[in-house]
Amino acid sequence: MDVISAGIAQAFRLILSGDPEIYGIIGLSLFVSFSSVLISTCLGMPAGILLGTHSFRGKGVLLRIIYTFMSLPPVIAGLTVFLILMRRGPLGHLQLNYTPTAMIIAQICLVTPIIIGLTYNLVREKAPVVNRLGITLGAGRLEIMALMIREMRIGLTAAVVSGFGRAISEVGAVMIVGGNIKGKTRVMTTYITELKSMGDYSRAIAIGIVLLIIAFAINAILYNFQEREGK
Amino acid sequence: MKLEIKRLVRDYGTKRVLDLEEVTIEKGTRTAIIGPNGAGKSTLLNIVSRIDSATEGEVHYESEDPRLVTQVFQQPYMLRTSVERNIQYPLRLRNWPEDRMKKRSDELMEELGLLDLRNQKAWKLSGGETQKVALARALSFQPSLLLLDEPTANIDPATTAEIEEMLLKINQEEGTTILFVTHNLAQARRVCNRLLFLDKGKLVESGDCQSILQNPAEVKTRRFIAGELLI
Repeated sequence: MDVISAGIAQAFRLILSGDPEIYGIIGLSLFVSFSSVLISTCLGMPAGILLGTHSFRGKGVLLRIIYTFMSLPPVIAGLTVFLILMRRGPLGHLQLNYTPTAMIIAQICLVTPIIIGLTYNLVREKAPVVNRLGITLGAGRLEIMALMIREMRIGLTAAVVSGFGRAISEVGAVMIVGGNIKGKTRVMTTYITELKSMGDYSRAIAIGIVLLIIAFAINAILYNFQEREGK
Repeated sequence: MKLEIKRLVRDYGTKRVLDLEEVTIEKGTRTAIIGPNGAGKSTLLNIVSRIDSATEGEVHYESEDPRLVTQVFQQPYMLRTSVERNIQYPLRLRNWPEDRMKKRSDELMEELGLLDLRNQKAWKLSGGETQKVALARALSFQPSLLLLDEPTANIDPATTAEIEEMLLKINQEEGTTILFVTHNLAQARRVCNRLLFLDKGKLVESGDCQSILQNPAEVKTRRFIAGELLI
Protein backbone atom coordinates (compact mmCIF):
# COMPACT_ATOMS: atom_id res chain seq x y z
CA MET A 1 0.00 0.00 0.00
CA ASP A 2 2.89 2.35 0.87
CA VAL A 3 4.38 1.74 -2.53
CA ILE A 4 1.16 2.81 -4.19
CA SER A 5 0.59 5.95 -2.10
CA ALA A 6 4.24 6.96 -2.39
CA GLY A 7 4.03 6.28 -6.09
CA ILE A 8 0.96 8.50 -6.49
CA ALA A 9 2.61 11.36 -4.56
CA GLN A 10 5.77 11.04 -6.59
CA ALA A 11 3.70 10.83 -9.74
CA PHE A 12 2.17 14.26 -9.15
CA ARG A 13 5.62 15.73 -8.37
CA LEU A 14 6.86 14.26 -11.63
CA ILE A 15 3.98 15.66 -13.62
CA LEU A 16 4.40 19.11 -12.09
CA SER A 17 8.18 19.08 -12.47
CA GLY A 18 7.88 19.32 -16.26
CA ASP A 19 10.16 16.34 -16.88
CA PRO A 20 11.08 16.66 -20.60
CA GLU A 21 11.24 12.90 -21.12
CA ILE A 22 7.76 12.34 -19.72
CA TYR A 23 6.30 15.24 -21.67
CA GLY A 24 8.01 13.98 -24.83
CA ILE A 25 6.38 10.60 -24.32
CA ILE A 26 2.97 12.18 -23.66
CA GLY A 27 3.36 14.35 -26.75
CA LEU A 28 4.26 11.40 -28.98
CA SER A 29 1.35 9.35 -27.60
CA LEU A 30 -1.10 12.12 -28.38
CA PHE A 31 0.43 12.71 -31.82
CA VAL A 32 0.24 9.01 -32.78
CA SER A 33 -3.31 8.58 -31.42
CA PHE A 34 -4.73 11.81 -32.85
CA SER A 35 -3.14 11.11 -36.24
CA SER A 36 -4.48 7.58 -36.41
CA VAL A 37 -7.95 8.66 -35.27
CA LEU A 38 -8.02 11.51 -37.79
CA ILE A 39 -7.08 9.22 -40.68
CA SER A 40 -9.42 6.48 -39.44
CA THR A 41 -12.27 9.00 -39.24
CA CYS A 42 -11.63 10.15 -42.82
CA LEU A 43 -11.65 6.52 -43.97
CA GLY A 44 -14.21 5.00 -41.63
CA MET A 45 -16.97 7.59 -41.51
CA PRO A 46 -17.69 7.74 -45.28
CA ALA A 47 -17.35 3.94 -45.42
CA GLY A 48 -19.86 3.56 -42.57
CA ILE A 49 -22.27 6.02 -44.21
CA LEU A 50 -22.01 4.21 -47.56
CA LEU A 51 -22.56 0.84 -45.90
CA GLY A 52 -25.55 2.18 -44.00
CA THR A 53 -27.20 3.71 -47.03
CA HIS A 54 -26.47 1.17 -49.79
CA SER A 55 -27.24 -2.47 -50.37
CA PHE A 56 -24.94 -4.67 -52.41
CA ARG A 57 -23.91 -8.28 -52.81
CA GLY A 58 -21.56 -9.48 -50.08
CA LYS A 59 -22.54 -6.72 -47.65
CA GLY A 60 -23.39 -9.24 -44.93
CA VAL A 61 -19.99 -10.90 -45.17
CA LEU A 62 -18.25 -7.53 -45.19
CA LEU A 63 -20.13 -6.45 -42.07
CA ARG A 64 -19.19 -9.66 -40.27
CA ILE A 65 -15.55 -9.01 -41.11
CA ILE A 66 -15.81 -5.42 -39.87
CA TYR A 67 -17.45 -6.55 -36.61
CA THR A 68 -14.66 -9.10 -36.14
CA PHE A 69 -12.05 -6.41 -36.74
CA MET A 70 -13.74 -4.15 -34.19
CA SER A 71 -12.40 -6.51 -31.54
CA LEU A 72 -9.13 -7.27 -33.30
CA PRO A 73 -6.43 -7.99 -30.68
CA PRO A 74 -3.82 -5.20 -30.89
CA VAL A 75 -0.93 -7.69 -30.95
CA ILE A 76 -2.36 -9.27 -34.09
CA ALA A 77 -2.75 -5.86 -35.76
CA GLY A 78 0.80 -5.00 -34.67
CA LEU A 79 2.23 -8.30 -35.87
CA THR A 80 0.48 -8.01 -39.25
CA VAL A 81 1.70 -4.46 -39.83
CA PHE A 82 5.19 -5.45 -38.64
CA LEU A 83 5.34 -8.38 -41.09
CA ILE A 84 4.19 -6.18 -43.97
CA LEU A 85 6.70 -3.45 -43.12
CA MET A 86 9.69 -5.62 -42.17
CA ARG A 87 12.71 -5.57 -44.46
CA ARG A 88 11.69 -8.78 -46.27
CA GLY A 89 7.98 -7.84 -46.27
CA PRO A 90 5.97 -6.45 -49.19
CA LEU A 91 6.48 -2.85 -48.03
CA GLY A 92 9.91 -3.37 -46.47
CA HIS A 93 11.56 -0.90 -48.83
CA LEU A 94 9.69 1.91 -47.06
CA GLN A 95 11.71 1.18 -43.88
CA LEU A 96 8.85 2.21 -41.63
CA ASN A 97 9.15 -0.30 -38.80
CA TYR A 98 10.24 1.25 -35.50
CA THR A 99 8.93 4.68 -36.54
CA PRO A 100 5.88 6.64 -35.37
CA THR A 101 4.46 6.20 -38.89
CA ALA A 102 4.32 2.43 -38.41
CA MET A 103 2.63 2.98 -35.05
CA ILE A 104 0.03 5.20 -36.70
CA ILE A 105 -0.60 2.57 -39.40
CA ALA A 106 -1.06 -0.15 -36.77
CA GLN A 107 -3.50 2.00 -34.84
CA ILE A 108 -5.42 2.85 -38.02
CA CYS A 109 -5.96 -0.92 -38.44
CA LEU A 110 -7.46 -1.02 -34.95
CA VAL A 111 -9.50 2.17 -35.00
CA THR A 112 -10.96 2.23 -38.53
CA PRO A 113 -13.21 -0.85 -38.06
CA ILE A 114 -14.56 0.65 -34.82
CA ILE A 115 -15.48 3.91 -36.55
CA ILE A 116 -16.96 2.07 -39.56
CA GLY A 117 -19.03 -0.26 -37.36
CA LEU A 118 -20.37 2.44 -35.04
CA THR A 119 -21.10 4.82 -37.94
CA TYR A 120 -22.84 2.03 -39.87
CA ASN A 121 -25.15 1.22 -36.96
CA LEU A 122 -25.99 4.84 -36.45
CA VAL A 123 -26.63 5.51 -40.13
CA ARG A 124 -28.68 2.35 -40.63
CA GLU A 125 -31.06 3.54 -37.96
CA LYS A 126 -31.32 7.20 -38.86
CA ALA A 127 -30.45 7.53 -42.55
CA PRO A 128 -33.83 6.46 -44.00
CA VAL A 129 -35.76 9.21 -42.23
CA VAL A 130 -33.16 11.89 -42.86
CA ASN A 131 -32.83 10.83 -46.50
CA ARG A 132 -36.61 10.89 -46.91
CA LEU A 133 -36.84 14.35 -45.39
CA GLY A 134 -33.99 15.68 -47.52
CA ILE A 135 -35.55 14.43 -50.75
CA THR A 136 -38.99 15.82 -49.97
CA LEU A 137 -37.58 19.23 -49.07
CA GLY A 138 -35.51 19.47 -52.23
CA ALA A 139 -32.00 18.62 -51.00
CA GLY A 140 -29.44 17.19 -53.43
CA ARG A 141 -27.15 14.25 -52.71
CA LEU A 142 -24.36 16.28 -51.13
CA GLU A 143 -26.83 18.33 -49.14
CA ILE A 144 -28.41 15.13 -47.82
CA MET A 145 -24.98 13.75 -46.87
CA ALA A 146 -24.20 17.02 -45.03
CA LEU A 147 -27.60 16.87 -43.34
CA MET A 148 -26.97 13.30 -42.20
CA ILE A 149 -23.61 14.18 -40.68
CA ARG A 150 -25.16 17.19 -38.93
CA GLU A 151 -28.13 15.22 -37.63
CA MET A 152 -25.94 12.36 -36.40
CA ARG A 153 -23.20 14.55 -34.96
CA ILE A 154 -23.61 13.31 -31.39
CA GLY A 155 -23.38 9.64 -32.36
CA LEU A 156 -20.56 10.27 -34.80
CA THR A 157 -18.59 12.14 -32.14
CA ALA A 158 -19.08 9.20 -29.80
CA ALA A 159 -17.73 6.88 -32.52
CA VAL A 160 -14.61 9.03 -32.91
CA VAL A 161 -14.09 9.18 -29.15
CA SER A 162 -14.43 5.39 -28.90
CA GLY A 163 -11.76 5.12 -31.58
CA PHE A 164 -9.53 7.51 -29.68
CA GLY A 165 -10.01 5.49 -26.50
CA ARG A 166 -8.88 2.39 -28.33
CA ALA A 167 -5.85 4.17 -29.82
CA ILE A 168 -4.54 5.92 -26.70
CA SER A 169 -4.91 2.88 -24.48
CA GLU A 170 -3.55 0.05 -26.62
CA VAL A 171 -0.05 -1.26 -26.04
CA GLY A 172 0.38 -4.43 -28.09
CA ALA A 173 0.42 -2.96 -31.58
CA VAL A 174 2.63 0.05 -30.88
CA MET A 175 5.04 -2.12 -28.90
CA ILE A 176 5.50 -4.54 -31.82
CA VAL A 177 5.86 -2.01 -34.63
CA GLY A 178 7.40 0.81 -32.60
CA GLY A 179 9.72 -1.16 -30.37
CA ASN A 180 9.47 1.30 -27.43
CA ILE A 181 12.65 3.09 -28.47
CA LYS A 182 13.53 5.87 -26.06
CA GLY A 183 13.09 9.32 -27.59
CA LYS A 184 11.80 7.87 -30.83
CA THR A 185 8.84 5.50 -30.50
CA ARG A 186 8.22 5.37 -26.78
CA VAL A 187 4.61 6.15 -25.87
CA MET A 188 2.76 6.14 -22.56
CA THR A 189 1.47 2.58 -22.66
CA THR A 190 4.75 0.99 -23.75
CA TYR A 191 6.61 3.08 -21.19
CA ILE A 192 4.30 1.91 -18.38
CA THR A 193 5.02 -1.70 -19.37
CA GLU A 194 8.76 -1.07 -19.28
CA LEU A 195 8.68 0.87 -15.99
CA LYS A 196 6.70 -1.91 -14.36
CA SER A 197 9.27 -4.50 -15.42
CA MET A 198 12.01 -2.23 -14.05
CA GLY A 199 10.16 -1.77 -10.75
CA ASP A 200 9.90 2.02 -11.20
CA TYR A 201 6.33 2.20 -9.97
CA SER A 202 6.16 5.95 -9.31
CA ARG A 203 6.91 6.82 -12.90
CA ALA A 204 4.55 4.07 -14.08
CA ILE A 205 1.80 5.49 -11.88
CA ALA A 206 2.57 9.04 -13.09
CA ILE A 207 2.13 8.02 -16.70
CA GLY A 208 -0.97 6.03 -15.78
CA ILE A 209 -2.47 9.10 -14.12
CA VAL A 210 -1.75 11.20 -17.21
CA LEU A 211 -3.48 8.56 -19.35
CA LEU A 212 -6.49 8.67 -17.06
CA ILE A 213 -6.58 12.48 -17.14
CA ILE A 214 -6.51 12.47 -20.94
CA ALA A 215 -9.26 9.85 -21.07
CA PHE A 216 -11.29 11.88 -18.57
CA ALA A 217 -10.79 15.12 -20.51
CA ILE A 218 -11.83 13.58 -23.82
CA ASN A 219 -14.91 11.99 -22.28
CA ALA A 220 -15.80 15.20 -20.44
CA ILE A 221 -15.72 17.08 -23.74
CA LEU A 222 -17.97 14.45 -25.31
CA TYR A 223 -20.34 14.49 -22.34
CA ASN A 224 -20.65 18.29 -22.46
CA PHE A 225 -21.24 18.18 -26.20
CA GLN A 226 -23.95 15.54 -25.82
CA GLU A 227 -25.59 17.46 -22.99
CA ARG A 228 -25.56 20.71 -24.95
CA GLU A 229 -26.87 19.15 -28.16
CA GLY A 230 -29.23 16.63 -26.65
CA LYS A 231 -31.18 18.76 -24.17
CA MET B 1 -49.50 21.72 -63.34
CA LYS B 2 -51.15 18.36 -63.84
CA LEU B 3 -49.97 15.09 -62.32
CA GLU B 4 -50.30 12.12 -64.66
CA ILE B 5 -49.71 8.53 -63.61
CA LYS B 6 -49.53 5.88 -66.32
CA ARG B 7 -49.28 2.11 -65.89
CA LEU B 8 -47.59 2.51 -62.55
CA VAL B 9 -46.43 -0.72 -60.91
CA ARG B 10 -44.53 -1.24 -57.68
CA ASP B 11 -43.42 -4.70 -56.60
CA TYR B 12 -41.77 -5.57 -53.30
CA GLY B 13 -40.16 -8.90 -54.06
CA THR B 14 -42.91 -11.05 -55.50
CA LYS B 15 -45.69 -8.96 -54.00
CA ARG B 16 -47.35 -6.34 -56.21
CA VAL B 17 -48.36 -3.47 -53.95
CA LEU B 18 -49.35 -0.95 -56.61
CA ASP B 19 -50.80 -1.47 -60.06
CA LEU B 20 -52.43 1.66 -61.48
CA GLU B 21 -53.51 1.98 -65.09
CA GLU B 22 -54.04 5.69 -65.40
CA VAL B 23 -54.67 8.45 -62.90
CA THR B 24 -54.74 12.18 -63.53
CA ILE B 25 -54.69 14.76 -60.79
CA GLU B 26 -55.67 18.18 -62.06
CA LYS B 27 -53.93 21.32 -60.94
CA GLY B 28 -55.36 22.99 -57.87
CA THR B 29 -57.46 20.02 -56.78
CA ARG B 30 -57.59 18.56 -53.28
CA THR B 31 -57.65 14.80 -53.68
CA ALA B 32 -58.20 12.34 -50.85
CA ILE B 33 -56.73 8.87 -51.27
CA ILE B 34 -58.63 6.35 -49.23
CA GLY B 35 -58.55 2.60 -48.97
CA PRO B 36 -57.87 -0.22 -46.53
CA ASN B 37 -54.42 -0.94 -45.12
CA GLY B 38 -52.09 -2.32 -47.78
CA ALA B 39 -54.01 -0.60 -50.58
CA GLY B 40 -50.84 1.11 -51.82
CA LYS B 41 -51.81 4.65 -50.77
CA SER B 42 -48.50 5.54 -49.10
CA THR B 43 -46.54 3.76 -51.82
CA LEU B 44 -48.23 5.95 -54.40
CA LEU B 45 -47.32 9.12 -52.50
CA ASN B 46 -43.74 7.93 -51.99
CA ILE B 47 -43.31 7.33 -55.72
CA VAL B 48 -44.75 10.73 -56.59
CA SER B 49 -42.41 12.43 -54.11
CA ARG B 50 -39.47 10.34 -55.44
CA ILE B 51 -38.52 8.75 -52.16
CA ASP B 52 -39.47 5.44 -53.76
CA SER B 53 -39.22 4.36 -57.36
CA ALA B 54 -41.69 2.51 -59.54
CA THR B 55 -40.97 -0.98 -60.83
CA GLU B 56 -42.69 -0.05 -64.07
CA GLY B 57 -44.53 2.94 -65.47
CA GLU B 58 -44.15 6.61 -64.93
CA VAL B 59 -45.26 9.62 -62.99
CA HIS B 60 -45.33 12.76 -65.03
CA TYR B 61 -45.62 16.09 -63.32
CA GLU B 62 -45.87 19.01 -65.69
CA SER B 63 -43.52 21.30 -63.81
CA GLU B 64 -40.74 18.69 -64.10
CA ASP B 65 -39.18 20.35 -61.09
CA PRO B 66 -39.04 17.81 -58.28
CA ARG B 67 -38.24 20.62 -55.87
CA LEU B 68 -41.82 21.85 -56.19
CA VAL B 69 -43.21 18.58 -54.83
CA THR B 70 -43.10 17.90 -51.11
CA GLN B 71 -44.53 15.46 -48.62
CA VAL B 72 -45.62 15.58 -44.99
CA PHE B 73 -45.54 12.29 -43.11
CA GLN B 74 -47.59 10.87 -40.28
CA GLN B 75 -44.53 10.97 -38.04
CA PRO B 76 -42.38 13.79 -39.34
CA TYR B 77 -38.69 13.97 -38.55
CA MET B 78 -37.60 17.17 -36.87
CA LEU B 79 -34.08 18.41 -37.48
CA ARG B 80 -32.07 18.79 -34.29
CA THR B 81 -32.39 22.53 -34.27
CA SER B 82 -34.97 25.20 -33.44
CA VAL B 83 -38.51 25.38 -34.81
CA GLU B 84 -37.61 28.46 -36.82
CA ARG B 85 -34.55 26.86 -38.42
CA ASN B 86 -36.54 23.74 -39.24
CA ILE B 87 -39.04 25.85 -41.16
CA GLN B 88 -36.22 27.77 -42.86
CA TYR B 89 -34.22 24.68 -43.88
CA PRO B 90 -35.82 24.27 -47.37
CA LEU B 91 -35.31 28.00 -47.95
CA ARG B 92 -31.61 27.73 -47.05
CA LEU B 93 -31.35 24.95 -49.62
CA ARG B 94 -32.78 27.38 -52.15
CA ASN B 95 -30.44 30.19 -51.09
CA TRP B 96 -33.16 32.58 -50.06
CA PRO B 97 -31.79 35.83 -48.61
CA GLU B 98 -31.90 36.01 -44.82
CA ASP B 99 -34.55 38.76 -44.58
CA ARG B 100 -36.90 37.10 -47.07
CA MET B 101 -36.43 33.76 -45.33
CA LYS B 102 -37.26 35.26 -41.93
CA LYS B 103 -40.33 37.01 -43.32
CA ARG B 104 -41.64 33.77 -44.83
CA SER B 105 -41.02 31.68 -41.71
CA ASP B 106 -42.62 34.39 -39.53
CA GLU B 107 -45.70 34.37 -41.75
CA LEU B 108 -46.08 30.61 -41.49
CA MET B 109 -45.40 30.50 -37.74
CA GLU B 110 -48.02 33.18 -37.19
CA GLU B 111 -50.62 31.38 -39.31
CA LEU B 112 -50.05 28.10 -37.50
CA GLY B 113 -49.69 29.60 -34.02
CA LEU B 114 -46.03 28.67 -33.71
CA LEU B 115 -44.52 32.08 -32.96
CA ASP B 116 -44.08 31.33 -29.26
CA LEU B 117 -42.22 28.15 -30.13
CA ARG B 118 -39.81 29.88 -32.54
CA ASN B 119 -36.68 29.10 -30.50
CA GLN B 120 -37.84 25.81 -29.03
CA LYS B 121 -35.97 22.62 -29.84
CA ALA B 122 -38.09 21.12 -32.58
CA TRP B 123 -37.50 17.50 -31.55
CA LYS B 124 -38.96 18.19 -28.11
CA LEU B 125 -42.38 19.34 -29.32
CA SER B 126 -45.70 17.55 -28.84
CA GLY B 127 -47.21 15.52 -31.69
CA GLY B 128 -49.55 18.30 -32.79
CA GLU B 129 -46.88 20.98 -32.66
CA THR B 130 -44.48 18.73 -34.56
CA GLN B 131 -47.03 18.22 -37.29
CA LYS B 132 -47.64 21.95 -37.58
CA VAL B 133 -43.90 22.62 -37.88
CA ALA B 134 -43.64 19.89 -40.52
CA LEU B 135 -46.47 21.49 -42.46
CA ALA B 136 -44.94 24.98 -42.18
CA ARG B 137 -41.58 23.56 -43.31
CA ALA B 138 -43.19 21.86 -46.30
CA LEU B 139 -45.10 25.00 -47.27
CA SER B 140 -42.19 27.39 -46.77
CA PHE B 141 -40.99 27.20 -50.36
CA GLN B 142 -44.51 27.34 -51.80
CA PRO B 143 -44.65 23.90 -53.39
CA SER B 144 -47.07 23.38 -56.24
CA LEU B 145 -47.88 19.81 -55.18
CA LEU B 146 -48.31 18.89 -51.52
CA LEU B 147 -48.53 15.22 -50.53
CA LEU B 148 -49.81 14.37 -47.08
CA ASP B 149 -49.66 10.90 -45.57
CA GLU B 150 -52.13 10.76 -42.70
CA PRO B 151 -50.80 14.00 -41.22
CA THR B 152 -53.45 14.27 -38.51
CA ALA B 153 -53.52 10.68 -37.27
CA ASN B 154 -53.10 10.71 -33.46
CA ILE B 155 -53.54 14.48 -33.27
CA ASP B 156 -56.12 16.32 -31.19
CA PRO B 157 -59.23 17.76 -32.92
CA ALA B 158 -58.25 21.40 -32.41
CA THR B 159 -54.85 20.95 -34.09
CA THR B 160 -56.45 18.84 -36.80
CA ALA B 161 -58.87 21.70 -37.50
CA GLU B 162 -55.99 24.21 -37.71
CA ILE B 163 -54.13 21.99 -40.15
CA GLU B 164 -57.22 21.44 -42.29
CA GLU B 165 -57.89 25.18 -42.34
CA MET B 166 -54.33 25.84 -43.46
CA LEU B 167 -54.61 23.27 -46.24
CA LEU B 168 -57.80 24.86 -47.57
CA LYS B 169 -56.21 28.29 -47.35
CA ILE B 170 -53.06 27.47 -49.31
CA ASN B 171 -55.11 25.58 -51.87
CA GLN B 172 -57.37 28.58 -52.41
CA GLU B 173 -54.76 31.33 -52.18
CA GLU B 174 -51.74 29.70 -53.78
CA GLY B 175 -53.41 27.08 -55.94
CA THR B 176 -51.39 24.28 -54.35
CA THR B 177 -52.49 20.85 -55.51
CA ILE B 178 -53.08 18.53 -52.56
CA LEU B 179 -52.94 14.73 -52.45
CA PHE B 180 -54.08 13.58 -49.04
CA VAL B 181 -53.96 10.02 -47.70
CA THR B 182 -56.43 9.65 -44.87
CA HIS B 183 -58.41 6.99 -43.07
CA ASN B 184 -60.80 9.61 -41.80
CA LEU B 185 -63.69 9.89 -44.25
CA ALA B 186 -65.20 12.89 -42.47
CA GLN B 187 -61.86 14.63 -42.93
CA ALA B 188 -61.77 13.68 -46.60
CA ARG B 189 -65.22 15.22 -46.95
CA ARG B 190 -64.13 18.42 -45.15
CA VAL B 191 -60.85 18.95 -46.97
CA CYS B 192 -61.04 17.36 -50.40
CA ASN B 193 -63.03 17.84 -53.56
CA ARG B 194 -61.73 14.74 -55.40
CA LEU B 195 -61.33 11.18 -54.19
CA LEU B 196 -59.42 8.07 -55.20
CA PHE B 197 -60.34 4.75 -53.66
CA LEU B 198 -57.58 2.16 -53.84
CA ASP B 199 -57.75 -1.50 -52.90
CA LYS B 200 -54.92 -4.03 -53.15
CA GLY B 201 -52.87 -1.62 -55.22
CA LYS B 202 -55.57 -0.97 -57.80
CA LEU B 203 -57.75 2.04 -58.42
CA VAL B 204 -61.33 1.02 -57.72
CA GLU B 205 -63.10 4.33 -58.05
CA SER B 206 -62.30 7.98 -58.55
CA GLY B 207 -64.26 11.17 -58.93
CA ASP B 208 -65.97 13.88 -56.96
CA CYS B 209 -65.36 13.39 -53.25
CA GLN B 210 -68.86 14.21 -51.98
CA SER B 211 -70.56 12.11 -54.67
CA ILE B 212 -68.47 9.02 -54.00
CA LEU B 213 -68.85 9.29 -50.24
CA GLN B 214 -72.63 9.73 -50.58
CA ASN B 215 -73.25 7.33 -53.39
CA PRO B 216 -70.33 5.10 -54.32
CA ALA B 217 -70.58 3.34 -57.65
CA GLU B 218 -68.49 0.33 -56.76
CA VAL B 219 -69.42 -2.37 -54.27
CA LYS B 220 -65.94 -2.40 -52.75
CA THR B 221 -66.08 1.34 -52.15
CA ARG B 222 -69.53 1.06 -50.61
CA ARG B 223 -68.41 -1.72 -48.27
CA PHE B 224 -65.32 0.21 -47.26
CA ILE B 225 -67.25 3.41 -46.58
CA ALA B 226 -69.90 1.54 -44.61
CA GLY B 227 -67.23 -0.21 -42.57
CA GLU B 228 -65.34 2.98 -41.94
CA LEU B 229 -68.45 4.85 -40.95
CA LEU B 230 -69.38 2.11 -38.50
CA ILE B 231 -66.05 2.59 -36.81
